[in-house]
Amino acid sequence: MWRMVLTSVSLPIPFVISVPPVEVISDTVDENGVRTTIEYAINDEGKKVKITKRTRRVLQKSVVEHAVAERLAWAKFGKERGSKPGPDMATTTVGEHLVLKISVGNKSAEPEQTAEQAMKANLQKAGAGKVTCRLCKGDHFTAKCPYKDTLAGLDATENPDADTGEGPAPSAGGPPGAGGPGTGGKYVPPSMRAGASAGTQMGARSGSDLPTLRVTNVSEDTQESDLRDLFGKFGRVARVYVGRDRETGAGKGFAFVSFEDRENAQKAIEKVNGMGYDNLILSVGWSQPRPEGPGGGGGPGGR
Amino acid sequence: MRPILLQGHERSLTQIKFNKEGDLLFSCSKDHIINVWFSHNGERLGTYDGHNGTVWTVDVDAKSELLVSGSADNQLRLWSVATGKCLFVWEFPTAVKRVAFGEDDTKIVCITEQRMGHQCAIRVFDINREEPTRQSKEPLHMFNIIGSKATVCAFTYTPNVILTGHESGKVSLFDVRSGEEIENNERAHSDVVTDLQLCKDQTYFITSSKDKSARILDIRNLMPIKTYTTETPLNSAAIAPNRPYVLLGGGQDAMSVTTTSLRQGKFETRFWHRVFEEEVGRVKGHFGPINTIAVHPAGTCYASGGEDGFIRVHHFDESYLRAKPYGDLEIMD
Repeated sequence: MWRMVLTSVSLPIPFVISVPPVEVISDTVDENGVRTTIEYAINDEGKKVKITKRTRRVLQKSVVEHAVAERLAWAKFGKERGSKPGPDMATTTVGEHLVLKISVGNKSAEPEQTAEQAMKANLQKAGAGKVTCRLCKGDHFTAKCPYKDTLAGLDATENPDADTGEGPAPSAGGPPGAGGPGTGGKYVPPSMRAGASAGTQMGARSGSDLPTLRVTNVSEDTQESDLRDLFGKFGRVARVYVGRDRETGAGKGFAFVSFEDRENAQKAIEKVNGMGYDNLILSVGWSQPRPEGPGGGGGPGGR
Repeated sequence: MRPILLQGHERSLTQIKFNKEGDLLFSCSKDHIINVWFSHNGERLGTYDGHNGTVWTVDVDAKSELLVSGSADNQLRLWSVATGKCLFVWEFPTAVKRVAFGEDDTKIVCITEQRMGHQCAIRVFDINREEPTRQSKEPLHMFNIIGSKATVCAFTYTPNVILTGHESGKVSLFDVRSGEEIENNERAHSDVVTDLQLCKDQTYFITSSKDKSARILDIRNLMPIKTYTTETPLNSAAIAPNRPYVLLGGGQDAMSVTTTSLRQGKFETRFWHRVFEEEVGRVKGHFGPINTIAVHPAGTCYASGGEDGFIRVHHFDESYLRAKPYGDLEIMD
């Protein structure tokens, strides 16, 4: 058993070095050879702290060549001149545990994955299925869609299966999570399950189940308030959304108008569809081909 | 395995080298210092101070008494390993890029850079071991390299024959007495040869190159025996003694590091099977390209020095020494 022996030596130094007083309370070694040292010391802030150290000392013996043993006794030199034996924490630290697994299989032959491929693979592993663009149904993320600028905003209308939760969603390659409970055991939120009623959805009255009209061929400088005025004649308008270019803020020629009442919306379609507005002829229709009854109006809520 | 991180350098490492027994590890870097470490616990034994420029290269003799170093301050220095004292200084017109001790420790060879109108030159010096502070200023042999400059060199077992690797990718054997090229392989590599390390019995050697490949070449006819092709420029290659592997290290150039992610950086040490030319393992850790790799002569540990200024010493686990990736197939060393 090794033991550090501390001996006090009176040094002929004419000044006092203040060393934080360390008080060793207990020093025990259990049957597994684990030494527990409890000590109290005063830290930099002048507070008394309890320090518990658990260490295990293992004596390693190794047979080395004579020359090697001799070199171990060499005095340190250069920048290390006068340093005490043993590794210095300033220059020598121990890194994190690493695993080197020697195995067959040409690792270099694996094609380098791009970040996007890696994410897709992870999604696949997590059971999320294929990555499908919501705009063009291509094999990429919606954000990376080359037709983003031209198709954005029409996404909800182009994707009839998205919110219904019924119909042949899984086979039609709808977005992940759109399918019924039959899609391979993956988690489907309650609101997306086939049996869920529209009324249980979050923000049920916020627009997703309101009768919503899609208005296209709107002039560039049309504002929300203009459309609210126009459609306000037919009934109470819950919400107006104008599709805009993200950078310039100019309108992209389409808008969604949600009515509170279905009859009023129907009336608005009949009256406004084909009407001249600014210098263009408006085209108005239901924002989504709906199944029977209320609900299923995607519109801006689906975005 | 838990690597030991040695932080004795402030700039990128240029070369690291074990002594013959493998208990000491010498390292040199662009910060002008040469360090010596105990390989078993990473303790720094000392430093060799005196160079006034990037230290490009070090080598130690078989008895671990003398150390020789070459630097960008145009000096070649001889040091006492045990005390850190500089014993002798040779001055040249240009930087010293590579040094190596000869087999019997009585000769050293050095390459000086092609610059400022001076040609790339190879000089061989006799080492006076009796009185190390009294060396001959004049080289025993000297000749200029015609054509592509030499980047790496080593003595061979054949007396007065040295092995060189060149900027063009060429590998040659030179007779130092006449400066005559005995043998060459112009197409050993297609880009700069960055490192050259001999195997234990010196019948073959490994070269690494910026052309992303490392090769084991036969020392007699310089013909490639094995080729290890990776996807990154290589800065160093080493042969693992007692195990059938080679270690390759590299990464993209320092200038392009900031524009790519760490994962794409490929700053890993790759273990390739020496015979089957297949990658068998990788060790991560460095934050920059690996500049130099050295393996303990007993094959129980290896060290890598990177552009990040760290040296990482890895003592192999038992599993590495027992691993038989290709079944019960032993390769005699």
